[in-house]
Amino acid sequence: MSVIRAAIDEMFSIVGQMVGSVFRHGLPLTDKIAARTALTNFVLHIHPVRVRRSWIRMSYTLCLGGLSFFLFIVLTVTGLYLMFYYVPSTNHAYQDMRDLQFVVTFGGLIRNMHRWAAHAMVITVWLHMARVFLTGSYKKPREFNWGVGTLLLLITLLLSFTGYLLPWDQLSIWAVTVGSNMAKYAPIAGPYTRYLLLGGRAVGDSTLLRFYVLHVVGLPLAAFLLMVVHFWRVRKDGFSGGL
Amino acid sequence: MAADFRRLIEDSREMTRRSFLAMAGWAGFTVASLIALYQSVKWLYPNATYEDPPAFKADPPSTYAVGSTTVIIDKRVVINHDPNGFYAISLICTHLGCTPRYFPDATSDLVLAGTQIAKDPDTGQQATKENPVLPGFKCPCHGSRYFRDAVNFFGPAPRPMDRVHLEVAPDGKLLIDRSVIVDRSFRLKV
Repeated sequence: MSVIRAAIDEMFSIVGQMVGSVFRHGLPLTDKIAARTALTNFVLHIHPVRVRRSWIRMSYTLCLGGLSFFLFIVLTVTGLYLMFYYVPSTNHAYQDMRDLQFVVTFGGLIRNMHRWAAHAMVITVWLHMARVFLTGSYKKPREFNWGVGTLLLLITLLLSFTGYLLPWDQLSIWAVTVGSNMAKYAPIAGPYTRYLLLGGRAVGDSTLLRFYVLHVVGLPLAAFLLMVVHFWRVRKDGFSGGL
Repeated sequence: MAADFRRLIEDSREMTRRSFLAMAGWAGFTVASLIALYQSVKWLYPNATYEDPPAFKADPPSTYAVGSTTVIIDKRVVINHDPNGFYAISLICTHLGCTPRYFPDATSDLVLAGTQIAKDPDTGQQATKENPVLPGFKCPCHGSRYFRDAVNFFGPAPRPMDRVHLEVAPDGKLLIDRSVIVDRSFRLKV
């Protein structure tokens, strides 16, 4: 009997060690343990240990930055789903988009989530910028983070622009024709930029591939890295809300 | 800050072998990075594009009646045959590059709504309330309009659509080269 009890004790201690190596502070029943948990947990560490109620008053932030980030996550997840059925070639793209809409189980839901979240993210990012401007939160010492934020806004718009082409319908093709012709109007670099964007003289196969690569890898990666900096800077510079 | 910076400069005046090698290392790294940057940009410029070649053949000239306007939509080209010869229009809107569509009547809705339309400088025609219908092109993107001879008369288009070169190929067909832009007075007489 004592052998079995020893084995059970051993098993409990192994499980205990495993759990303890992940959650190091037990249940956060007191403020002190809660603070330690927030400090040492990867997911929670972006939260300050102590937050004043006034800093995160909803009528002050309107949750716009958080909403933008939430929509970015929605877009990443739904975008990943869409990639399983979408081939970025002029022969397949439109049909794949139609299949996603009408053939794939829950395809319409996922595609529309991606579409509407994209529209919503452009709106929330703009409003977030407007809020930061109107509350004067871009002022010293937060000028650098304002700069990072403008880059994130630019990337959000570029993500929308590149995603616009992917359904490969008439609207996509001519919208990107118009957009890339606007780029052409820039002095000196204009025509080169257009050729670089399109990978040719007109919107075609190479344009679709370029926009796809930018849309699913290049721009999201850049956005992610800048977001890391953006959030870290918010923590370091402190909240701009009242005392 | 300024004092620290000055000291840094003063310290660096005393060149040791170690600091020289470090500087040489950084210089090498910078040059290599610039080369890599140049290569990265250059990489994105395709040296060959497998697009439709700019020159293509249409039907023999006799196919096109005098006074006809033929839209070759796949090639984005229009062949006009006038009494004094052939000419080809590159069917690319000069505003932002969409493809205008041909309409036998591109003017009457504007004229009847009271919009003054300039006289077509090429043909001298003018759409009036008495005679409001002139053929032409309308761009679906932002509403630019052109007369049949590619001269813009309405909407945001800043200038007429380009005319491109055409000739009769040895096999008797019309050969149109979209990469050669020609003057408005260009005519091919057959």
